[in-house]
Amino acid sequence: MSDEHHSSHHVNYLTIFFVLCGCTALSVAFDVLHFAKPVTMVLVLAVACAKAMCVMMYFMHLKFEGNWKFVLLAPTTILAIGLPLALFPDIGSSYYTPTAPQVGVWADEIAEYEQHDAAEQAEKQ
Amino acid sequence: MSHSPKAPALRMGIPIPNSKLGMWLFLGTEIMFFTAFIGSYIVLRLGSRGWPTDYNDTHINVLLGGVNTFVLIVSSYCVVVAHEAMALKNFARARQFLWVTLILAFVFLGIKGVEYKGKIDHDILPGRIPETASQAVKKVSNQLEELVRERFSRYIDAGVVSYPQPGDILNVANLIREIPNGERPNELTTEQFEQWKTSAAADYALFLKWQDLHEHVVANVSLEYPAAPAGFLEARTKLKAGEKPPEITLDETRKRLNEMKANEQYGALVSAHVFDPHPIVYGNIFASTYFIMTGFHAIHVIVGMILFIIVLKQGSALNEKWTDWVENSGLYWHFVDLVWIFLFPMLYII
Repeated sequence: MSDEHHSSHHVNYLTIFFVLCGCTALSVAFDVLHFAKPVTMVLVLAVACAKAMCVMMYFMHLKFEGNWKFVLLAPTTILAIGLPLALFPDIGSSYYTPTAPQVGVWADEIAEYEQHDAAEQAEKQ
Repeated sequence: MSHSPKAPALRMGIPIPNSKLGMWLFLGTEIMFFTAFIGSYIVLRLGSRGWPTDYNDTHINVLLGGVNTFVLIVSSYCVVVAHEAMALKNFARARQFLWVTLILAFVFLGIKGVEYKGKIDHDILPGRIPETASQAVKKVSNQLEELVRERFSRYIDAGVVSYPQPGDILNVANLIREIPNGERPNELTTEQFEQWKTSAAADYALFLKWQDLHEHVVANVSLEYPAAPAGFLEARTKLKAGEKPPEITLDETRKRLNEMKANEQYGALVSAHVFDPHPIVYGNIFASTYFIMTGFHAIHVIVGMILFIIVLKQGSALNEKWTDWVENSGLYWHFVDLVWIFLFPMLYII
């Protein structure tokens, strides 16, 4: 079965390899060039997605597989996207204080946090 | 026609080997496994008011991360070439490329080890990072206490000091203070006893320094005042009604620590055991997410190495029966590469 599978297509893996290396260099270049943070974030994640597509399509041969790949990967993709979206409203909306309540004595931390907030408010006024 | 005796056997299921289907189903669960970590990282980071990104805070080395990305890409290329060679029945070539893949996996783990060591050396570990000035001051005191207890346990272990409750640091300190004036225990030679006497003087001096800092930390009183009880009473007499004594600050703790590090008797010990106080806001959540993501990724690398070692153990006996194995191991390895493709920008660049 593997033989049949292979004879049906030919991929120049070396080209894919060089594309992946180029993308990695591009990611590092975006870090060195010091763009605005959101710009860097979008650029490097776009490059990561491009690299992931190259690996999945050619190295993992998904481009040449039948439609079963959609049936198999659709549920996991939906759940993978759904998890962060489900967590976001509770945790992603500035839930944690900068004084990290997971460490140390609560009373001290709360007092310090209140001082920090009071100082911030005083600055605003 | 369908009832003709020459009709092909009815084929059920999808047109791939069962082992490959199994691997893809497994990779489906793996995607969700890593999404739990990566998704949590994204959500926690977005939910935090700040995040450590400076090299001095995180000791994240972009160059090492970049090299590791390159290493995994080369290894992914090698494994796909090995699979192609297996399909073409060129088993010698397949083995060569599988060997290169295995060696590159070792290189990846070696570089990861160097990165982990950098973090361990600077105590960038979950739950050990002070996030505020007061936590940094407490950490100095706690680390000095650990050092003092470690030094004191030497006397108990060697039988130079005997006390029923070795954890009672105050009473053990009093016994150590008396060593230079005391009599030599029979089991020690004169030379050994002289060494213990010198050591005892240094360790007791270190104990006094820690005790002083500890009392100020517990009472949250500035180091400018002498220690309890007289010093704190003096501090209070100078205050007006309703005022509190000035609190201990990070700067004065840092100054005190530097004085201790410059001390001839115990300075080297303090330098080796006590980290410079350096608060990192959100450092612990950063360290937790960093280690859980890269740690589980490293475990996957090790599993991939085991898969390659099993096939490489066949040596020159490698044959077409192993083609599916190599293909499935390759799929797994590409997935490991895929995870790193996202971890690299998220942890090292953004």
